[in-house]
Amino acid sequence: MTSPLEARSLVLVREGNTVLDGVSFTAEQGEIFALLGGNGAGKSSTLLTFLGFLDPSGGEVLVNGTSVTSDIAAARNAIAYLPEAASLYGHMTAYENLDYFLDLAGKSASKDEIDAALDRVALPQEARTRRLQSYSKGMRQKTAIALALLRETPILLLDEPTSGLDPVAIDEFHDLVKTLAEGGQTVLMVTHDVYGACQVADRVGLLRHGKLVGSFAAENGKRIDTETVHAAFAERQAV
Amino acid sequence: MVRNLIRETRFLAKDRGAIFWLFLAFLLSVVAVSFGVAEVREQRETIAALLEEDAADRANALEGQEDWGSAAYYAFHLTYAPPSDFAFAAMGQRDSSPWKHRVRMLALEGQIHEADTRNADFGLVGRFDFAFLAASVAPLLLILLLYDLRASERTMRRHDLLVATAGSPRSLWLPRALVRVAALALLLLIPLWIGTLIEGAAMGLALQATAIMVGSLLIWWLIVDLVSRVDASPSILLTSLIGLWLALAIVIPAVSKAAIEAGNPVPDGGEILLLQRETVNDAWDLPKEATMEPFVERHPELADHTEIEEGFEWKWYYAFQQVGDQVTEPLVEEYRDVRLARDRQAGTASLLSPMSMVERAFEQLAETDARSMIAYEDRVRDYHADLRAFYYPLMFPEEPYDSELLDDLPSYTPAS
Amino acid sequence: MSTITRIAREEWRLWLRSRVVVAAALIVAVLIAATSMLTAGRIADEQSQRTQQQIAAEQTFFAQPDRHPHRMVHYGHYAFRPPPPLAVFEPGVDAVTGQSIFLEGHRQNTAMFADTKAAADLGGFAALTPASLYQLLLPLLLIVLGHAMFLRERESGTLAVMLAQGQSGTKLALGKAAALLAVIAIFMVPLVFVAVYSISLGESALAAGSMVAGYFVYLCIWGAIVLAASILLKQRSVSLGALIFVWLFAALIVPRFAINASSAAIDAPGKIESDLVMLAEQRKLGDGHNAADPAFMQLQAEVLEQYEVETIEELPINWRGVVASYSEAELTDLLNSYAEERMGLEASQSRIFGLFGLASPTIAISSASRTLAGTDLATHHRFLRESEALRFGFVQALNEKHATELDYAADINRNADAEASRRARVNASAWQVLDEFRFEPDGADARLERALLSFVILLAWLTAAGGIVYGAARRVRL
Repeated sequence: MTSPLEARSLVLVREGNTVLDGVSFTAEQGEIFALLGGNGAGKSSTLLTFLGFLDPSGGEVLVNGTSVTSDIAAARNAIAYLPEAASLYGHMTAYENLDYFLDLAGKSASKDEIDAALDRVALPQEARTRRLQSYSKGMRQKTAIALALLRETPILLLDEPTSGLDPVAIDEFHDLVKTLAEGGQTVLMVTHDVYGACQVADRVGLLRHGKLVGSFAAENGKRIDTETVHAAFAERQAV
Repeated sequence: MVRNLIRETRFLAKDRGAIFWLFLAFLLSVVAVSFGVAEVREQRETIAALLEEDAADRANALEGQEDWGSAAYYAFHLTYAPPSDFAFAAMGQRDSSPWKHRVRMLALEGQIHEADTRNADFGLVGRFDFAFLAASVAPLLLILLLYDLRASERTMRRHDLLVATAGSPRSLWLPRALVRVAALALLLLIPLWIGTLIEGAAMGLALQATAIMVGSLLIWWLIVDLVSRVDASPSILLTSLIGLWLALAIVIPAVSKAAIEAGNPVPDGGEILLLQRETVNDAWDLPKEATMEPFVERHPELADHTEIEEGFEWKWYYAFQQVGDQVTEPLVEEYRDVRLARDRQAGTASLLSPMSMVERAFEQLAETDARSMIAYEDRVRDYHADLRAFYYPLMFPEEPYDSELLDDLPSYTPAS
Repeated sequence: MSTITRIAREEWRLWLRSRVVVAAALIVAVLIAATSMLTAGRIADEQSQRTQQQIAAEQTFFAQPDRHPHRMVHYGHYAFRPPPPLAVFEPGVDAVTGQSIFLEGHRQNTAMFADTKAAADLGGFAALTPASLYQLLLPLLLIVLGHAMFLRERESGTLAVMLAQGQSGTKLALGKAAALLAVIAIFMVPLVFVAVYSISLGESALAAGSMVAGYFVYLCIWGAIVLAASILLKQRSVSLGALIFVWLFAALIVPRFAINASSAAIDAPGKIESDLVMLAEQRKLGDGHNAADPAFMQLQAEVLEQYEVETIEELPINWRGVVASYSEAELTDLLNSYAEERMGLEASQSRIFGLFGLASPTIAISSASRTLAGTDLATHHRFLRESEALRFGFVQALNEKHATELDYAADINRNADAEASRRARVNASAWQVLDEFRFEPDGADARLERALLSFVILLAWLTAAGGIVYGAARRVRL
């Protein structure tokens, strides 16, 4: 069976700098895979490669077994993407934003379906008809996640999804991501938050200077040990 | 595609900045068209009033005349180029070239260069007509509507999300820009179409004007699209686009104009006048034959009636008036040819500047271009020739004066 | 003070690093230099050409052989208007009006052969002059340079740091203003050169200096508008868009709109229209060629009485000359009253146009600049008036010769035969009655007085724009 997401010896050179240097991994269906790394480790670039915004300089990336470069549209169609500090349109309400972006993805949703999605991300009822420019960062993030839910794609790419959120919102968000994975979605998230990654991911890959330098998996129903990963992260960073 | 367009139309309706520019475009178009319609009406009224006063004045002048010579001397005739049904959209050369004259059977060169133009400030600054709006302002509005489509999304870090969600960039940017271009074109054109209906101009003209407008907007869309693909900040994009606009609107036309005019010097108009005056004045002192010979060359059919016996005879007077015109013919011809040549070259040069091209195209549709103004002058010349053709067969054989024959005086008919 | 210069210097460093800014400034500088040189060359040519033509016209007039004096009335003369020195910067309406006029008896002609009539038609902006570059292009350059000068500090967060250090918004704004002022000062240099050049051509230092001052104020107004936008608006692209909009309005739309509005507000009839009305009246005056016209009966009675004779043949002067002189005077009164009315209407149209300066500083500066250069409508009108005075002067002087130096009997028999025609002539020395005509622009103080309203409007703009900058700078928060 093919993995929903697979990177094969991925090399990425941008403006003379090697951003990714032979990275290989897979993310299986229903799995949450977290790429952990410091600033400039090449995390976001990995996501952009899966979306076809960046072309691999070597190796390849596959979505559902098909090379992204050969069919960008198919890859994007299978993926819902949540960029860092996702900002939807500030001059539109949550309803209007979701309506617009779903239409952009070639989908449509009834108001009930939209409400159901907003309920799942716990966006207060009263806020839904307000413009996004009055939202807190967490509320905006929730709206963007609702969009990802409504798109019902098999794959979810998350870029620093919890940065700037308060602890309660982070917990809520992690719970939501777990539910989605249990529902069969494949989740690839990139983050520099060791604690968060360990808490939510089934597997954690450690990325440093464009290379995958470590991998930790949850076993026997237990979460990945934060201390171990943190030690590895800190040690590698120090080198 | 339809679905994309509907989505982007609804999106545009919520974008207050874009709505402002579009509303402005509509407002300016309404202003340009209504001023144009009002100006054309005023010119028509002027012509109607002039026709009436001209007829009354001529009747008055002819009353009590006792010979053909005095009748021709005192009767002026109005010639004019009425504004076309589409002139409201482009007043063009009507502000700098005369479109009405009162001529009589004296030497034409002394009359046709009279410039009954308006306040000089008008010709200097120019009018705000639709042609100006379409040629110069519309591209600027289009730039302001389109320049930051991509760049502003990049600044707001929304670009990748939008493209990733849409699947392909084409299904996002194309409809988004298309909706704006279409809205701009529509809002500019609706007042023009209404103006066309009010003025009763031909549908074909409205269609051609629409094609010019849309064509120019499409060219500018292409330019903006190419420039705004560059991954630069919105303000740098806008600066570059404004620079491009300036180059195309001001620099290229100015340079081509200077080059064309330097390459095709017009004969000094004063020379034409001077030569004509000298010829006419010298004739008084020359032997009569010196006038009548070149006159007969042009009018051999009158050869038998060109004996001048007295010190002053009208036929001699009108003969030297005509000889005055004959002498200046080469200069006049050259002046006319150079104007046409300049216009032709300006037409070629305008291929380099969409603004010049659009403005010239509108002037052509409105018949207010240099060619039409020269065509009007040609009609005045033809009419003046008609006057001579009417009087000469009466005056030279010295037919007895009969005021009733003057009912058949040729009347000027403007181009339809 | 040192803080302000440091801020200004920092701004300059940023500009010099930006390729877009440097390129834009260089292009504008090259355009100004090229246009100034081309215009100066062209105007110098015209200046000498027109003066020579004027002298040639006078010499041909003097060189005419012995003739019947009335023939010289119809022979006519030319008046030329050479461009004034400051036309090298601001050619003004000269291209539209035509610069020569044919003067003859019984008629007031229009100035003919305007350059624009034979111009290659390339649309609205094709006529490029140094003045139009200063009016249109330099404000755009200031916009490109300055639209983000203040809000950049806000965007990058340095504004917070500066305010936290106790710097005031006013000081920061002053620094930015100083930087912009330096740009304006640099771009005033070509104009100063042109002004000095015009002084060397004989222009008064007062007029040339006022021209420089006027453009300096104009550019400062734009500088203040740009600075105000960059303080008040929070986003670069919004600030740039808003300023482009202001420019579009002030420089392109309002002036043309003002033309439409002033032509709609005051209907100045064309010459043909007013001529027709006048012709009807003129017919009542009688035809000056026909001394037997009944309209002259009263004049005849008066003249006969004055010389105490019974018939016109007995008069010591030539009756036909008397009639010619009398009817020319009457006709000229009539012509002048219509010409004055037409010019008055045109002048009021231009006044309305000038008042639109309240809506666009570009109108105010362009009016002021044409007036100061002596290439405005008022100067053209004065040219028309002076050439009319010249026309009336020589026509009446010739009529005088007609009355006093030509025998009446010889005059009425002039068409009898060649010998009779020869007798009805006066000596060519009589043509010396023609006055020498050299059209000069108004004195500098007269021009300055005429430009006063535009200057007041410009200063009002500067005060308003400066006030907004000051108010906004004082209230700067994060």
